[in-house]
Amino acid sequence: MSGPTLLVGAVAYHERVVPIWEIFREYFSARDVPVDYVLYSNYERQAEALLDGKIDIGWNTNTAFVRIRHVAGEPVRILGMRDVDSDWATLVVTRKGEGVEKVSELSGTRLALGSRDSGHAAILPLYYLAREGLDAVNDCELIRFDTDLGKHGDTGDSELRVLRAVADGEAGAGAVGAPIWASLKAKADPLISGLEVQWRSEDYYHCNFTVLGSMDRAVADRWSAALLAMDYNDPSLRYAMDLEGVKKWLPGDEKGYATLTEAMVQQGYFG
Amino acid sequence: MNSPPQDTATRSIDAGDIEFGDGLEILLSTVFQAAEPGQTIDVATSSRSTALELPGWARSTGHSAERDWKETNGNGQRFVVRVRRGEAAPVLAPDLPSRGEPMPLRLGSQFHTTDLVNAAPERLPGSPDPGYGLIPLGAVPESGGPQYSWRLNHHDDLWAEEITDLTERASSAQWDATVDVPWNEALGLPDDVERAVAQVMTFIASNEYVALYVPSKFLPQVNSAFVDILMWLASHIHDEARHVEVFTKRALIGGQRGYALASTQMSLHSLLEEDDFSSASLLLNVLGEGTFIDLLGFISRNAPDAATAACARLAHRDEQRHVHFGISHVRRSQKLDPDSTPQLIGAVEARAAKLATLTGLSPVLLESLTILAAGSTRSASLRRGAAGVKELTRLMEVNRIRRLRAAGFDAETAHHLSELHTPNLM
Repeated sequence: MSGPTLLVGAVAYHERVVPIWEIFREYFSARDVPVDYVLYSNYERQAEALLDGKIDIGWNTNTAFVRIRHVAGEPVRILGMRDVDSDWATLVVTRKGEGVEKVSELSGTRLALGSRDSGHAAILPLYYLAREGLDAVNDCELIRFDTDLGKHGDTGDSELRVLRAVADGEAGAGAVGAPIWASLKAKADPLISGLEVQWRSEDYYHCNFTVLGSMDRAVADRWSAALLAMDYNDPSLRYAMDLEGVKKWLPGDEKGYATLTEAMVQQGYFG
Repeated sequence: MNSPPQDTATRSIDAGDIEFGDGLEILLSTVFQAAEPGQTIDVATSSRSTALELPGWARSTGHSAERDWKETNGNGQRFVVRVRRGEAAPVLAPDLPSRGEPMPLRLGSQFHTTDLVNAAPERLPGSPDPGYGLIPLGAVPESGGPQYSWRLNHHDDLWAEEITDLTERASSAQWDATVDVPWNEALGLPDDVERAVAQVMTFIASNEYVALYVPSKFLPQVNSAFVDILMWLASHIHDEARHVEVFTKRALIGGQRGYALASTQMSLHSLLEEDDFSSASLLLNVLGEGTFIDLLGFISRNAPDAATAACARLAHRDEQRHVHFGISHVRRSQKLDPDSTPQLIGAVEARAAKLATLTGLSPVLLESLTILAAGSTRSASLRRGAAGVKELTRLMEVNRIRRLRAAGFDAETAHHLSELHTPNLM
């Protein structure tokens, strides 16, 4: 028996979001947990909608999740994340041959960062580099590419600018997410042919499906179970899962957001 | 980096100094595809940078990096990343079958199309799924591809004996309309003769258009599982494109131009409207191109110049194959399904009804054909030309009936259909 239709919010960072959710909508409906979707132009608006109860589930970035949890005033719950979200990492890249053994050697260089609201290309790089002994805010000249603000780095635009700045010599080093580097490598993109990875952060979590703690637990469980049952080897799902960049959905938990939470507090994101 | 684990991986691979972008992903793909889901593989590299990239590669390909460490041996240090193979199948299809027998070759290292079709791992399906993909013969299709919707899904409705041999012959009989015609021989005919040649060539070129469009119309309707039919139709289309080319070149080379007659257009339009494959084959291959074989033979024997003769001779060779297909196909269709005979007759009758206003070969064409055969406008020559054209008309009728008989029609029906055939010849 079908329950009420759940409303999922997603940010339209790319036109592929529509075919993804059209296919997912069909999938969830066939499993008696019908959903519809609403697209937002930015994560702040979507977070507001979740907190106001206008949507039931938010497909959030890590930055959006941490913010929602901070202001919710009630426990929030994670209903799932992609495999790729479970071991996201930040890379620091330089031009080839720089031979950086420790990130502290980057002191004094121009360090390129992605959008200010990107966890992986701006907030966490500063946090992890500081832990490794590089106070980049004070010891490096930061070059920030604040493009597509509100999308939290989803478009990849600011990371491409970071890589271009390093390739062109405008910056001595740059921070990007491991997935964008892997995808550029996979297609042998000439943009990165002269660059190499010098450092990789520890793993942290990225996106997740967030609901407020007040959501009916049984309904949330049923939706989560349907999500986790998606099979990448099912021909009717492979296209959408490829577009979403997921091969397996995982249950998710909150432990992988600890460092980002700390970083956002340190860097004054909560005022 | 961490310390080496106590347990050992299912297998390990030393990638040396090969990097991503230089072939490492191919090497890893081969190794991981051979492993079972859940198995672990230690990937060693001499490059720290590559080791830092390995977790990202693993995730993007559906695997997961579990641990990394550094080792030092006599050759220096190397970085190791342990990766667990994921469950994602790279291709949504059964495993490829084990290697089978090689394909048969003929003397001279020739690999014939007939042998390809006959010795393929699977026989061509008789009535495949109308949604069949663009899947080459013998390939193992992956699930999840788009659904097609082919209109022609029964092999028997399209096939003819010797179809692969005919395709083979078409490939080996290719010619080049640019260099295989002695074009300089076409220059210098008197004005009236050149005008007549230009008119006849324009007429033939017009007809070649329909011979090009009819198989072109059917090809994209044919189920992609029928590779033999596709190759045949493609060779037919290729032949006709060259015929359009060579007769257009001959029409214009001498500076004269001809009319594209409305009667011709009307006739061709009615042929292009035929939507049934076998009926179209009867109308085009057996009746139209059959009649053209006689016309082209006549021109090759009576042309006033060697270039015109060569154009007709080269096209004549191709048309024989098309007629062969048509006769064989129509005969087989009637044999397999006797009910198809009235349908075929009906198609000829219906077309004839549409062309009721055409009562004979256009006077413009008749006049041009006569001058072409005469080679001049002197009366003695014209008399000879006129006699030749009269004989051609008779020959066309006789041969058309003969071909219809060969295609499986009884004598009375063959006469009936021949009489109904378009005065436009095609």
